[in-house]
Amino acid sequence: MEIDTAQIFQKFPNRRREDLIPILQSTQDIHGFLSEEIVNAVADYLEISANKIYGVATFYDNFRFGPVGRYHFRLCHGTACHVAGAATLLKELEKLLNVSDRETDKKGLFSLEVVNCVGACGLAPLIEINDQFYTNITLDKLKDLVGSIRDKENSTL
Amino acid sequence: MEFQIEVNNKLINVREGETLLSALREHGFKIPTLCHMNRFSPSGACRLCVVEVEGTRDLVTSCSSTVQKGMKVRTNSQRVIRARKALVELLLSNHPDDCLYCQRNGHCELQWLAGEMNVKERKYFARKNAFFPDYSSSSVARDPAKCILCSRCVRICEEVQLVTAIDFISRGNQTRVNSAFNKGLNVSDCIHCGQCIQVCPTAALLDIPHVDKVQAALGKKDRQVMFFISPSVVASVAEKSGMKPRQNVMHRIVAALRRCGAAKVFDLGAANDIHVLQEARMLAERLQSDVASPSPMISSCCPSLVRYVEEFRPQSVSALSLNKSPQQTLATLLKTIYAQHNGIEQEEIFTVAVMPCVAKKYEASLEKNTHKGVSEVDAVLTVREFFQLLRGFGLDLPHMEEEAPDEPYNTPSAAAWKLGYSGGKAEAVAHEVFNMMANPRKDSFKFNLPKNMTGKREIKINIGKKKVGFAWVSSIAEAESYLKQLDDQQRDDIHYVEVMACLGGCAGGGGQPISRGFEDARARKRFCIEMEKNSPFETAGENPIVQSVFKADKLAPDNDLALEWLNNRFKEQKDHGRKE
Repeated sequence: MEIDTAQIFQKFPNRRREDLIPILQSTQDIHGFLSEEIVNAVADYLEISANKIYGVATFYDNFRFGPVGRYHFRLCHGTACHVAGAATLLKELEKLLNVSDRETDKKGLFSLEVVNCVGACGLAPLIEINDQFYTNITLDKLKDLVGSIRDKENSTL
Repeated sequence: MEFQIEVNNKLINVREGETLLSALREHGFKIPTLCHMNRFSPSGACRLCVVEVEGTRDLVTSCSSTVQKGMKVRTNSQRVIRARKALVELLLSNHPDDCLYCQRNGHCELQWLAGEMNVKERKYFARKNAFFPDYSSSSVARDPAKCILCSRCVRICEEVQLVTAIDFISRGNQTRVNSAFNKGLNVSDCIHCGQCIQVCPTAALLDIPHVDKVQAALGKKDRQVMFFISPSVVASVAEKSGMKPRQNVMHRIVAALRRCGAAKVFDLGAANDIHVLQEARMLAERLQSDVASPSPMISSCCPSLVRYVEEFRPQSVSALSLNKSPQQTLATLLKTIYAQHNGIEQEEIFTVAVMPCVAKKYEASLEKNTHKGVSEVDAVLTVREFFQLLRGFGLDLPHMEEEAPDEPYNTPSAAAWKLGYSGGKAEAVAHEVFNMMANPRKDSFKFNLPKNMTGKREIKINIGKKKVGFAWVSSIAEAESYLKQLDDQQRDDIHYVEVMACLGGCAGGGGQPISRGFEDARARKRFCIEMEKNSPFETAGENPIVQSVFKADKLAPDNDLALEWLNNRFKEQKDHGRKE
């Protein structure tokens, strides 16, 4: 996939070192992940070694280096969600989606990411699918959720 | 400003702003470290330099704290000693236990420290590091399992060589030193200088081994193994085996290699002379041509520099000297002229260069230095590997008899020794250019190298009516800032720039025996200067080998194949994320 990095770089005209993380964030927002081409383009733009940028990016969990699925599941595993059973949900979700943490399935349909507290502890446990939040999740709710997505995908085929 | 601090109930004088570590070491207190490097930013990664400072709750890392007035320090209290021992034990908890099979066995700082701290058993059990070693590069091998994350290699690559081919990847117990997207060093920005090997405290960074290859060739009946020894290798071999310049070190090396089964042993110094003369000839042509050349000629005998320019300074590729490096020149001459002269098939000759450099392994592997499957240089041994080879054959240099190197490449001039340290090559080339262009009876040649080994220097000498500027820098950081300055100020008074990628030139090369600090490099330079005084010829041009191999007027060999092979080209590459 081609990505117009020039458009993103426009927003950071000063080429400062401290722009690195904002640039990486906005490229990932558009592209979904950080590809080699992107890292090299950012390296050229900021005049920082690509190896250094990769080092910085791998320090933070938020950056991905491979594509996510069409349905990107983010399971909150903060303290409140953990107490409310997030560990069980994770096991079930891994079985349902057939992927584990920070993985994407071969069809590019599902991907899973375990995240730290998203700040909605009153609604624990919760799951985020493509920026949509599903709260007070139970095992049954989870099965229904995944099932409905699968049905939808099968019907559009 | 000086003031006093109290260390172990003793008062010592310290300078304001100095780090605690340097003050303590200056006064003879032994403080262990695994990550400290002189003149580098402190990283505080290994924490072995901890000391107890009265009034602070925790132990303090002495490398990253400055001396304060009224400080009371204890360097060997029970608490400090316990902490240091625990630190080493923790470092060992996930370190592979294969010291017996480790290349750095006996030269490993971690091993030494474990001995010093009296570590006798494994106290902490952790899963052993299991990372794949990386042997993809032609010069530098990495074994991340042995890495203790001290960051020395990362800092030297970034701060001295401006390359940053490696950095810390990932976080926590997953941290490792690697290049982007965990790719091999062969596709990284690495310039093969090998400084990372020099600073590595363990065996996480190593030479790509060529010893086995050489040993195998030595055992083959249909192979003639021809060694050539670089003058700066002679210096460090002498240092390592405790010999003095007058002990005729080169001749003992020759004897030792013949015992190993070498067919011929040559002195690369002779090729240095040829190289210097060629370089001077090219420079003189440039100076005499009417067209004013826009940029100075940059010496190209350092493969790391060439790689750096190709990768990061494409605008300077055209300024590189087209002269082939001494290693490739001599190998070329051996496989073409020498082979034809003596009726030896090219395939029979196995050329081995013994160099103070790991980048020479990379240079030897370049496609342009091979011809229809025949490589000019078949193997390159670093000084470390050279000793490995000798140890394997059970040879002890100081007890060898003296044997002269083989004809015709057997005698170096003083100029050849000058290539061993930063500034020397500029001086040798200047001398040749002077002899070519000036009227030596009227003018006098003056070129005094300063004692310092680093720092950018330039000098202008009057050659005939012309004022010619020579400059020399060592390390890529110095080279980059100097070349940038030349560009920015649009200076045209500098005509020749000698750049060596390692600090101090080849005396501080990446293939030299592992040494800490700069003292060893200085000693090697002193050795070279001592040898210069004893050389039979003062300048490269006086060396008869040059006349015998080359047509004196053209300085090109009288041999079509050799001419074709000596043709040197550089490639322009796209740069990734480099300062322009």
